[in-house]
Amino acid sequence: MSIPDYMQCAEDHQTVLVVVQPVGIVPEDEFFRIYKRITSVAQVSIRDSQRNLYIRYRHHYLPENNEWGDFQTHRKVVGLISVTTCGSAKEWPQTSDRFHCQKDVFGATLYDSRLLVFGLQGEIAEQQRTDVAFYPSYDDCPDVEKRVEDFVESIFIVLESKRLDRATDKSGDKIPLLCVPFEKKDFVGLDTDSRHYKKRCQGRMRKHVGDLCLQAGMLQDALVHYHMAVELLRSVNDFLWLGAALEGLCSASVIFHYPGGTAGKASGREPSLAHGQGQAADAGKRHRPGALTANGISADTSSEIGRAKNCLGPEDIIEKYKEAISYYGKYKNAGVIELEACVKAVRVLAIQKRAMEASEFLQNAVYINLGQLSEEEKIQRYSILSELYHLIGFHRKSAFFKRVAAMQCVAPTIPEPGWRACYKLLLETLSGYSLCLDPKDFSKGSHRGWAAVQVRLLHELVYASRRMGNPGLSVRHLSFLLQTMLDLLSDQEKKEVTQSLENYTSKCPGGMEVLTLPDGLKLPPVPLSKLPIVRSVKLLDLPVSLRPHKQKGLLENNMSSKSPFIYSPIIMHTRGEERTKKIEFRWVQGDVCEVQLMVYNPMPFELRVEHMGLLTSGVEFEALPAALSLPAESGLYPVTLVGVPRTAGNINISGYHTSVFGVTSDCLLDGLPSVRTSGCVVEVIPSLPRLQLSTSLPRSAHPLRPSKEELSSSVSVQLFNGETQQLTITLENIGSEDLETLEVTSKTCNTKEKLFGEFLSWDLEEAVSQLPLKPGQSVTLTVNVKVRLDFSGGENLLQDLNDDGISVTGLPISSPLRQVLKPRAETKPLGSESSKTDYNHVKTLEAVMTFKYSGGAGKMEGYYRDLSLGVHVDVEPSVFFTRVSTLPATRTRQCHLLLDVFNSTEHELMVSANNNQDLVLHPSECQRMAIQVAKFDFHTLPQPDQEAVRYTNPKLLEEERLHAQASMISSTLGSLSVSLSLSLSLCSSSLDVVVNGKPCDCDIIADCKVGDAVPLEVKLTNRSKNAVGPFALTVVPFQDYQNGVQNYDLQDAVTFIGSNTFYIDMVKPTENSACMGALLFLYTGDFYLNIKFQDDSAGQGKELPPSWFGLPSVHIKALEAPIEAGA
Amino acid sequence: MAVCIAVIAKENYPLYIRSVPVQNELKFHYTVHTSLDVVEEKISAVGKAMADQRELYLGLLYPTEDYKVYGYVTNSKVKFVIVADSSNTSLRDNEIRSMFRKLHNSFTDVMCNPFYNPGDTIQSKAFDSMVSAMMVQAS
Repeated sequence: MSIPDYMQCAEDHQTVLVVVQPVGIVPEDEFFRIYKRITSVAQVSIRDSQRNLYIRYRHHYLPENNEWGDFQTHRKVVGLISVTTCGSAKEWPQTSDRFHCQKDVFGATLYDSRLLVFGLQGEIAEQQRTDVAFYPSYDDCPDVEKRVEDFVESIFIVLESKRLDRATDKSGDKIPLLCVPFEKKDFVGLDTDSRHYKKRCQGRMRKHVGDLCLQAGMLQDALVHYHMAVELLRSVNDFLWLGAALEGLCSASVIFHYPGGTAGKASGREPSLAHGQGQAADAGKRHRPGALTANGISADTSSEIGRAKNCLGPEDIIEKYKEAISYYGKYKNAGVIELEACVKAVRVLAIQKRAMEASEFLQNAVYINLGQLSEEEKIQRYSILSELYHLIGFHRKSAFFKRVAAMQCVAPTIPEPGWRACYKLLLETLSGYSLCLDPKDFSKGSHRGWAAVQVRLLHELVYASRRMGNPGLSVRHLSFLLQTMLDLLSDQEKKEVTQSLENYTSKCPGGMEVLTLPDGLKLPPVPLSKLPIVRSVKLLDLPVSLRPHKQKGLLENNMSSKSPFIYSPIIMHTRGEERTKKIEFRWVQGDVCEVQLMVYNPMPFELRVEHMGLLTSGVEFEALPAALSLPAESGLYPVTLVGVPRTAGNINISGYHTSVFGVTSDCLLDGLPSVRTSGCVVEVIPSLPRLQLSTSLPRSAHPLRPSKEELSSSVSVQLFNGETQQLTITLENIGSEDLETLEVTSKTCNTKEKLFGEFLSWDLEEAVSQLPLKPGQSVTLTVNVKVRLDFSGGENLLQDLNDDGISVTGLPISSPLRQVLKPRAETKPLGSESSKTDYNHVKTLEAVMTFKYSGGAGKMEGYYRDLSLGVHVDVEPSVFFTRVSTLPATRTRQCHLLLDVFNSTEHELMVSANNNQDLVLHPSECQRMAIQVAKFDFHTLPQPDQEAVRYTNPKLLEEERLHAQASMISSTLGSLSVSLSLSLSLCSSSLDVVVNGKPCDCDIIADCKVGDAVPLEVKLTNRSKNAVGPFALTVVPFQDYQNGVQNYDLQDAVTFIGSNTFYIDMVKPTENSACMGALLFLYTGDFYLNIKFQDDSAGQGKELPPSWFGLPSVHIKALEAPIEAGA
Repeated sequence: MAVCIAVIAKENYPLYIRSVPVQNELKFHYTVHTSLDVVEEKISAVGKAMADQRELYLGLLYPTEDYKVYGYVTNSKVKFVIVADSSNTSLRDNEIRSMFRKLHNSFTDVMCNPFYNPGDTIQSKAFDSMVSAMMVQAS
């Protein structure tokens, strides 16, 4: 007896052993089909009594073990059922012979036997035989169960008779000595008559009867017999049998206490339990009828009491088991018995939930030496140990032994290592090492497990799966190892693991599919989210020029949908929603969108990540994978992943895809709690056109100063003050949508400089007329860049004016000859170096042109795009006026504008005003020039002065540079003083003097004839906003001798017809009033008329200054009257 | 003297493990790991009875052919395991107890270190030297 039956349990003591074996050639599956049907008859209720017989079926049993049948009767084969196929009558004798041969193997112990013959029909099959049953085929055998039941009943009859035979065998007859195989030689030549010997025989027999009683379903009797046997055997120190008796006692007690059985459902060695009859059997066990008395009559109360007395309590059972095992332990040859007893005890303890004691039994069982074990037996032993440890809740021990068993499967001594079995066993150990092959469990981080043993186990799994010839599994396990144990691996290990991973993936690339093992275990995919580790995910906005903007009016409903309140202090979103939070900006369908990941490489070597792309949902998205190489132990490293959304809607960036070491993985952000993100959902709007801007001017090297808004591009140009440059902008539609609308606006950046005139001007009409712009087409726009800046300090100028010797107001310089250009007062250090530098610095002028365009589907949704162009102009000073003043011209409607022109450039230049001669200015030279300009109506020109005097600006010719006609300069005129503007403007009221029907002005000489009455009309036109008058107007003629002498004494030369004083009533605004008079010149000569005004309103007769009215001086030349024919 | 000393966290992962024959460390890992079954069993068995005043020292967890494994559980469920050579019969229970007490004191010192994060592996030099003193001197 060398092979233990690890499946044994205490209640097996009450079963009878029946061997079912095939005879001849029986197909295996057919045999097991029949075997299964036979084994369903596991419990038979005996007809006349209320007792049950339990049957244990084996299809394989060593005859060697059968020899221990006297020691423990449940080890004895008492029944044999042979299954055979017999095709014809001819074969029948041979089959029958074989059956008998087989019977002989167990012959000594068999109570009865049956032969089930399949396939035989005809004469032989007709005959009724008790020991042989004929069936036409394996499918057609309806009464197999019935046959088996009959067979079991016949066994029972034999058993019962044997029991009675032995039990009543109390007479002084010689009781045979029962013994186990190895004892036989010990008793040779022993004195059979001694008391000691007799007692030994009695004790052993008593124990045997106890076994039989137990088998026959008489638990109570069995207990009594066992008790007696224990006493008898203890007295003779027959330890082996004493142990057996004690074990029998334990078994009987266990059967009593735990009718549910101790084997546990997991063992599955009783397939009949699944069948209906099996359940009935189970029920039968629970409601064990009191069929315990010898005659099978239901027990009375006294027997109940007796039973309770004989039966061991739960504590005692363990004590007795311990004792029994210690007795068995004395015999080397009884190792199997001892081991089985241990196993049985452990099962009982497992039910009692006494794990500590059970572990002691198991610990003992580990050390039981059964001599040389085959490898297979070792595996079996370790497996069963593992199972038992599992049973008592020692999962780690269980895993340990399972792993030992697994290693045994592939021990080097085994010629054909069972890698498959090894792998399977290793997988079963996972739970014991707190390992779950789902990486999701690890991301939680709280449980870390016993790293050293886990790593070891994973390595073993990898190796086993590789030797199994399944590299896919190896890859999966290695990925898992890398993913979950990365922090625990040393640098060397990391290198090794990745190297082997690369080796495996070269044969079988790792993917994201779930691997299913043949036994149904699913290996979830392992995304390598730690290679590289992603720290943050940030969705990037489109570049400024491509950002879509929503039309203003449509924005509001977006706001209102969030909350009915305009403002609420309660923040609506919670922290948890951050991930799903929508991002402010939008992406555009068809445009390349970017997501920035901050990654780092935890490995001690360079990590190559290939096909890194985005995983998205919600919108059709074309991810453009990137490949990157991260240096060893890199710090945070930004990686930008790009893709193109192909449809509109809300896109959710759910994760990323990588391929590292040949393992492709989809890492979902949901599973990575360590990743920081500011939201992963972004709206994708329908596609918009895309414009590319190119200009004729060079790109600006330096960005605009106020860089608060990003510019798509900028140009820079250098201009002289007053210069105009054309900027040609070409807009090309490089998108896929038609450009439908285009708007251009410009904004001058916040400059402190006072800017005159329009800086940028353009005409959009032509460009707009070309719309819609098809993809690939382009449109050009010409922009005029004009710069006009004030380069002189305004205060300087005013000072100059005040210092000026020329009184601007009211000095009636009538002759242009007087206007001698006196050299400038030398006190003014205009030409000196210090002030020169003042004027020389370069000013910058910046503006942003914004091109707003839209088209395609995005336009329908109300989106547009902005393209901004920064224009940066460095303005160099050209010429400027250091001083401006006016001089009245000889005509009242014109005046002289005096300008001190200063050339601040380094070049010689020529200044030309309208119809003036060119003025050549050397560098840093200042010259005065006078321009005759017409006065203008102050009121009809409400625009600023510059507008009106634009034409007065000298044209500037810059010689060296460009030879281009520079623009007009109006720079300094902005700071004209009020009095200057007054003198430039027409008077508030004007007087027109009409002599002889012709209007008179300063340099117009009216001709008249001596002796003729010259009609004189004085017309007052009120241009002011208030009524003026009444006035008294006196005309005084005089003669100017051109030498400073004016002769007013002309009473005899000129005479007035009528009064020389006119009265003008109040003149309302914009109205005029005229007075008529006449003059009579008596002599020829040049006469002037001096017109004096007096305010007549209050009769004060105050003389008003002539400048109020711009009084013309009237020059009349009286000529000799032609001799008329009649005179 | 001990051949292996281990400190195991409440969640049953090792905070510290050191063994004398360094070349076969994994064996001790397995020994200590499997001993946790017994530790848990003992804790749960005792824990029901009197949670407050339970003896921290668990005694012999289990003997193997070569070693004896002793256990000790702090009130915060941190386990100490000492593996001693079975051949060393001179080692008495009291000595084991005092070793555990020393270990516990030293562990308390480690936990008092403000720079130590509970749950991290122990890297304290003081603890290390104390453990070394209790170990069999490797020849």
